Amino acid sequence: MKSVQRTGVIRDYDMHSPSVRIGYGVILLLCVLMVILAVFPLVWVMLAGFKDLKEFVSSTSIFPRSFSPQPFATTWNQLGIAKNYLNSLLFVAGSVVCALIFNGLLGYGIGILKPKGHKIVKRLILLSLLMPTTISIVPLFMNIQNLGLGNSFVPLWLSYGANAMYVILFVQFFESLPRSIIEASRIDGCSQLQTFFRIVLPLSKPICTVIAIFAVNAAWSDFLLPYLVLRGGNLQTVMVRLFVFSTEQTVNADTMMRSVVFSMIPPIILFFIFQKQLTENAVSVGIKG
Amino acid sequence: MRGQKRQWRAKTAENLKSWLIMLPGLILMTFFVWEPLFESIRMSLYKTRNVELVRFIGLDNFISVVSKDDFMQALMNTFSYTFWSLLLGFALPVLLAMLIGETRRGKGFFRTAVYLPNMLPGLAVIILWSAFFSGEKSGVFNILLGQFGVPAQTFLTHADWVIPIIIVIATWKGAGATALIYMAGMASVSPELYEAAAIDGATVWHRIIHILLPSIRKLAGTLLILQIIAVFQIMYEPMVLTKGGPDNASLSLMQLMWQYAFGGSMNYGKASAVAVIVTLILLVMTAIYSYFNRKESDWD
Amino acid sequence: MNKLVKTVSLFLALCLLLSTVPLAVAESDGVIDADLTCTLTLGNWPPDTAAQAEKDLFESYKTTMAKQYPNVTLVPDYYSYSLSNYVPMAKAGTAPSIFQPPFTDPQLLISQHLVGDVTDALEQFGVLDKFSPSYVEMLADENGRIYGLPRDGYVLGMHINLALFREAGLVDADGLPIYPKTLQELAEYGQIIKEKTGKAGLVFPASETYGGWLFTNIAWNFGCVGESALEYQDEDGRWVCNFTSPECIAAMEYMRDLKWKYDILNVDATTTDWASAHTLLGTGEAAMNFAADDSVDQPTSNKGLPVEDFALIPFPAGDAGRYALAGGTCYMFAPNITADQGVALMAYLKVIGKLPFLDDQIISGMRADYAAKRDRGAPVIPAISAWTDEEYNAAKQAIVDEYCNVDMRLYADFFDSISEGTITLKSEEPVFAQQLYRELTGVIQRVITREGSDIEKALRKAQESFQEYLDDEINDY
Repeated sequence: MKSVQRTGVIRDYDMHSPSVRIGYGVILLLCVLMVILAVFPLVWVMLAGFKDLKEFVSSTSIFPRSFSPQPFATTWNQLGIAKNYLNSLLFVAGSVVCALIFNGLLGYGIGILKPKGHKIVKRLILLSLLMPTTISIVPLFMNIQNLGLGNSFVPLWLSYGANAMYVILFVQFFESLPRSIIEASRIDGCSQLQTFFRIVLPLSKPICTVIAIFAVNAAWSDFLLPYLVLRGGNLQTVMVRLFVFSTEQTVNADTMMRSVVFSMIPPIILFFIFQKQLTENAVSVGIKG
Repeated sequence: MRGQKRQWRAKTAENLKSWLIMLPGLILMTFFVWEPLFESIRMSLYKTRNVELVRFIGLDNFISVVSKDDFMQALMNTFSYTFWSLLLGFALPVLLAMLIGETRRGKGFFRTAVYLPNMLPGLAVIILWSAFFSGEKSGVFNILLGQFGVPAQTFLTHADWVIPIIIVIATWKGAGATALIYMAGMASVSPELYEAAAIDGATVWHRIIHILLPSIRKLAGTLLILQIIAVFQIMYEPMVLTKGGPDNASLSLMQLMWQYAFGGSMNYGKASAVAVIVTLILLVMTAIYSYFNRKESDWD
Repeated sequence: MNKLVKTVSLFLALCLLLSTVPLAVAESDGVIDADLTCTLTLGNWPPDTAAQAEKDLFESYKTTMAKQYPNVTLVPDYYSYSLSNYVPMAKAGTAPSIFQPPFTDPQLLISQHLVGDVTDALEQFGVLDKFSPSYVEMLADENGRIYGLPRDGYVLGMHINLALFREAGLVDADGLPIYPKTLQELAEYGQIIKEKTGKAGLVFPASETYGGWLFTNIAWNFGCVGESALEYQDEDGRWVCNFTSPECIAAMEYMRDLKWKYDILNVDATTTDWASAHTLLGTGEAAMNFAADDSVDQPTSNKGLPVEDFALIPFPAGDAGRYALAGGTCYMFAPNITADQGVALMAYLKVIGKLPFLDDQIISGMRADYAAKRDRGAPVIPAISAWTDEEYNAAKQAIVDEYCNVDMRLYADFFDSISEGTITLKSEEPVFAQQLYRELTGVIQRVITREGSDIEKALRKAQESFQEYLDDEINDY
């Protein structure tokens, strides 16, 4: 019975053949190996965080001499990473809000309202999906400076409101919604905006979740534009700080590894909370996050 | 007549309101994406002094940039990145997807585990891996090699190795997520098809070749182009890991752009020229992409 | 006994000196100028994440300023300078009133009119003529107008891991290192160390600009000065670079030999940066490192090398020269500062002890600084002064001596070589030094990663590339 449900090339029937069974064993072995490959570097960096500088540079053992959490505490306090966490949190929160509102409304326009001429916008957005944002980072940075928006989160937040990929994900989702519901609400006298907030948005929970997760992850990892915009100021995020460490060498190698650990903890937590949405919903959308 | 006019008016008002709803998003897209792209083109045609456009110089920036050794090196490197990325990074996710797809137990666990690296911040990943490729005896690979009695090696000082190494790191991060996309594609094949083929006596191998792989052919085409485009964006990876070295052996085009702009010379005109060249290359890729994409999706 | 005498005499000397340096002591609390009204944004303010002591120190500076200049408003605006983020700010008029660039950048900033002129303000404080001439050259334009003040200076020498020298038998009867006096000896000693200890003889950070930075000093000692200088101005005033002189080629061949003949370099030289070079020396993975007197805390207190295992020696001489690179960090000012702001800025710098005046607050600040250094295991050694004011310099020296925690014999040759002039101080190449370093680093990377690479060809390519850069940025502008 179960075999009907089961996907995969190898069927139950094949498992009677010894060679297929051996092959299946090899497959399992390879899968386990992949898991080790995927996880080992993470385990390693956690272990490395327990080493002091001398040990990190000289020791030829994967394992630290001691598992005292002291080095982590010292790094956390010395570098004042709590402040950077707070900054990152602010940056991420604003970015998610902007990503949902601005891209959502634009997607609503293209996907549902479809006013005259919306196809041009759609094409432009499709085209910009294929242009890396870094490519125009120079003039963008100059524009931000010229508007006097340097050393502020505002331009960074808003930059998440202009993401071609998110717009397209919204459009794809909105187009899959049954037209009848939307038309019904219009007939009931809802304005376009009311329809969006009363009808479309409640139906869009799955896509909003996916985009929110993408945006959280992207904003947390973002550092190039934030580095330029936030310059050396007090608003530096965790990743900007890490980038500064790696380019300006103000911290020791062991401290650097602990900073790496700190920068990875929130995404890992996010991952474990939302792993189902990530590995299922996100993928069904068909675009890499 | 009159009714028609009213209808037309209502329609126009409707359109206007719709555009108004889209307006904030459009302004942001303009400010953050479209205008800077055009600004790039404009700046690339000017001699710049800091953020000022000094004078129009036509294609001089392009000529100057292209005639330099480091540009040719960066261009070759970028193709080298693409080559290695296709060699290492393209087939692996397909293989991963196939392997995980076949597991009868623990599928969810395997999917989760291989996806995990994709969640990690790219910068942190590069710094983390730099410790693996350290040439000191304390480098992680040297520790592992030491277990087998192999003497310590240096990795990042070999001009021929740095690009493959960076691709290995990028693949480690991204392959799992790509594999899940392939898995979704593969899941579209109805299990009955395999059953039928099996009953007809097709071996496992035959089923892979004739049923599984064709099911993801179009998807693979799309992902191939997306991957090439992603490779063209490689910038901070060499910036952090090798600083483009040794002797520019890992310098990418985007990194060259960054160097012109922020690496001390502040030549935004030349930086823009590099950006425009990359844009042109990507436009060609985009044309290819839309060619592939048109066949399979209902866009437009 | 000897020690007692020394301490007592020091104490007396100090008292004497302090009494002869009344300059500003009296004024530190009273109002100096109540009419001066302006606002300063302070880019040299410590970040929120800085140590509390440092933040408190700056708060106390602020309090002092408020007393002396009640109508000067200070706005803390922590800013970590980099050329890439500074320029757009300067253009947009949002640069902080004061910021701290390295000595490689002032000439570039001055030539592009991106910094403010403080000559008149310096004059007003009577310190214009006490400015060390070499600094005047670095911080002034061709008309002698001054745009910056030195924050701290350094002279390049060599850091030594004494433990490894001992292990290799390179110490004399007194336990002092037998160290390389010439670049040739450096190669040979490095070989001995590598044989005896298995550690790298020399750590060479051949990444980004660091490799080229250190290489210029080696090249000077091979004779790349005067007519063979790496860059010079020809009779038409055009900047010309010259990497293909026999001297420069010889210097690059020396780099090649360090790797392929003597094999004394650390394994990952091409990805080693400034900090990792200190790390390798400080953790005992390398015995020698080209580094300066201002970074002695790096291998010691930062990376864990005990001060008794550390020594600072002069930069090894070459066949054609004994030069040591001198540089540092300076203070510069926003291009749009007013005359009043200029004066207020100098007053502020005086309060934080960067003008040649000593008052109680500055002296106690110095003491606190040295005590902290001693506590965390960093060598307390004299700083090289940017001012030619003898009284001021002597007073500062006396305070250093009080807190000194090292055997000064391990530093003596370094400081003597400077004070006795057996080594010639030379500032960085005059124009676009960072770009020059970048080009040269590329050549070094090629030479030390590919055995038998064509040195002259590589240098010629780098020369063409840098020449084009010079043409673009200065010659044809």
